[in-house]
Amino acid sequence: MTFDWSVIWTHRQALLEGAALTVGLTVLTMLLAVPGGTMLALMRLSSNKLLQSASLGFVEFFRNLPLILVIYWVFYVMPMAVEFQLSPLVTALVALVLNISAYNAETFRAGINSIRKGQLEAALAMGMSRRQAMFKVVIPQAGRRILPVIASTWVSLFKDTSLVSVIAVSELAYSAMQIRAQTFRVLEMLTAMAVLYWLMGYPQAKLVDWIHRKYGVKE
Amino acid sequence: MNDIARAPVRKNADQPPVLVYEDVRKLYGDFVALNGVSLQVHKGEVMCLIGPSGSGKSTLLRCTNALETINGGRVLIDGVPLPVQESAVRKVRQRMGMVFQSFELFPHKSALDNVAMGPITVLGMREAEAKARAMALLEKVGLSAKAGSFPANLSGGQQQRVAIARALAMEPEVMLFDEPTSALDPETVGEVLSVMQKLAQEGMTMIVVTHEMGFARRVADWVVVFESGAIIEQGPPAQIFEQPTVERTRDFLGHLGWNG
Amino acid sequence: MEFDFSPIADNWRFFASGLGVTVALSLISAVTSILAGLVIALLRLYGPGWLRPVLVFYIDSMRAIPVLVVLVWMYFAFPLLVGFTFSPFWAAVIALTLHIAAYAAEVIRAGIESVRPGQTRAALALGMSRVQLLRKVLLPQATIRMLPAFGSILTIAIKDTAIATVIAVPELMHRAETVAGQSYRPVEVFTAVMVAYFVILFPVTRGIDRLYHRVAHLGRS
Repeated sequence: MTFDWSVIWTHRQALLEGAALTVGLTVLTMLLAVPGGTMLALMRLSSNKLLQSASLGFVEFFRNLPLILVIYWVFYVMPMAVEFQLSPLVTALVALVLNISAYNAETFRAGINSIRKGQLEAALAMGMSRRQAMFKVVIPQAGRRILPVIASTWVSLFKDTSLVSVIAVSELAYSAMQIRAQTFRVLEMLTAMAVLYWLMGYPQAKLVDWIHRKYGVKE
Repeated sequence: MNDIARAPVRKNADQPPVLVYEDVRKLYGDFVALNGVSLQVHKGEVMCLIGPSGSGKSTLLRCTNALETINGGRVLIDGVPLPVQESAVRKVRQRMGMVFQSFELFPHKSALDNVAMGPITVLGMREAEAKARAMALLEKVGLSAKAGSFPANLSGGQQQRVAIARALAMEPEVMLFDEPTSALDPETVGEVLSVMQKLAQEGMTMIVVTHEMGFARRVADWVVVFESGAIIEQGPPAQIFEQPTVERTRDFLGHLGWNG
Repeated sequence: MEFDFSPIADNWRFFASGLGVTVALSLISAVTSILAGLVIALLRLYGPGWLRPVLVFYIDSMRAIPVLVVLVWMYFAFPLLVGFTFSPFWAAVIALTLHIAAYAAEVIRAGIESVRPGQTRAALALGMSRVQLLRKVLLPQATIRMLPAFGSILTIAIKDTAIATVIAVPELMHRAETVAGQSYRPVEVFTAVMVAYFVILFPVTRGIDRLYHRVAHLGRS
């Protein structure tokens, strides 16, 4: 059994483009999922029962489904809902944003709730409006709790982008597996894929650790 | 200088001391927690360690049963220095009982099981025998009705009394109390102190780190005053509380509102 | 726009067997991950010093590599290295265990370290050995405190089994793809399977929550 590791170098262009798309998807998803999650959290925390239930339903639904299934489902449902044909990339983005918004919503809600009620009351007692109290007292403190969790969600998202390969989006996993299919160099390409993910993911994981250490709350 | 005419007589002074601390030093990094402490504890004595927070009292207690290791000097139990090897240390710990400020009952066990745990796990006693001993001890501290209760359902004072029973279940020669009432509501402090007083009357050798000056005054045989990792004065309660010979002792007691 | 859910009804036995594989794969992987995670956590806390960086490297690497990559590598690439092949199911078990055990190890380590240090002091003061301390005081409390995290491990395992479809493990997701492809009714099929997964996953998370609330006081020292 001979191995030809040069195929990795030969196809480095495609691999690097795939890696770039992986990163791009991660960034774009998070950019959309943070406002998305915020909106859902605000709905949940509002006094309107309908908004509360809608948000709760949405969040519980997406947190209790495998992402790969959501990806397939959006891929087949979206062409029906939207009149024109959307690219797999956009489909993937929609699925990822829906999923991550749900997780973010839960993170934001838990973060805000974890700030002791006394803090809000103290702020109100000083004469602040509810809005001021939220923005000047509660949210800054909640931010410290929320940041480490968002960082962890980011790394999960980074790994989850590999799942959109099943609908032929040319991120890293898809690119690597395409090259494998073309060159029949299974071990080499799959190992290269793992190593490339590792090279990108390991520093991110370490960064998340640092964030947890710096901003983590000791109970 | 000491203007009490006769030298204070220690309990059981004719017998060799149970515990001897020789020039004990303990460091935490650069911080000197114990700066050459020398002290003797006699059999049946109730010794109270008092002093400001951070003065080394609790540290000395934890060095006694090797929960902390000392950096200098010796701790002798019945004339034998504290061993270094883990299994020998465990044997020494079985001869001492310790009661903690935060009670530290095992939350996943009932009161009875907490008290029986030492004999069963460490002494290898049969379960029935251990539980009988545990029940008798719970009776002694007034909590036989709560034998099946879990710590989450007991008040602070009740938890601490169970903790005392748990330590007594090992039939120790010495009982070490590390601020046993500091975490309790004022109402429940009394119930714990009366259990401790009863123990003292039965002749148990006790070392008590405490801020309860009333207890020290009434129950202690010997009081040791700590400051900044050293002993500044020691003597019978009458001396320490009424005629302290050292200025800083007077200051400390004065700050606590103790006026003799 | 009409919907036709008949492919699901017609193939219910096919789906049911897929569901069985999903359940089996999830349970087996969750159990092996927790056991492996326990060993790793204990080795990391109490094992020889040289082993620690190796274990940390493994744990951090699994945080960086997607489970899809591990699955695919284990099924397609690993046999080329060692000379024998696994069935898709067992390749999936190994890959999922490898991936999830890293997470489990961290959960367990955090659980043990979260027990108050006073508990250790109290147990040692009674004369317990380190082994007795671990078995009778730390692990029981840690296990109770970690119940929600164990629940999330099971949830992760169930969701990850759906990814095993890419190596043709005949679990529920794979069945869904097959039937969707044959019947040209992907929306109905995938919607039905969504409901199925939700019905499995939702009670698991809720059940663990309820159980935890009932026993939480036993872990709080």
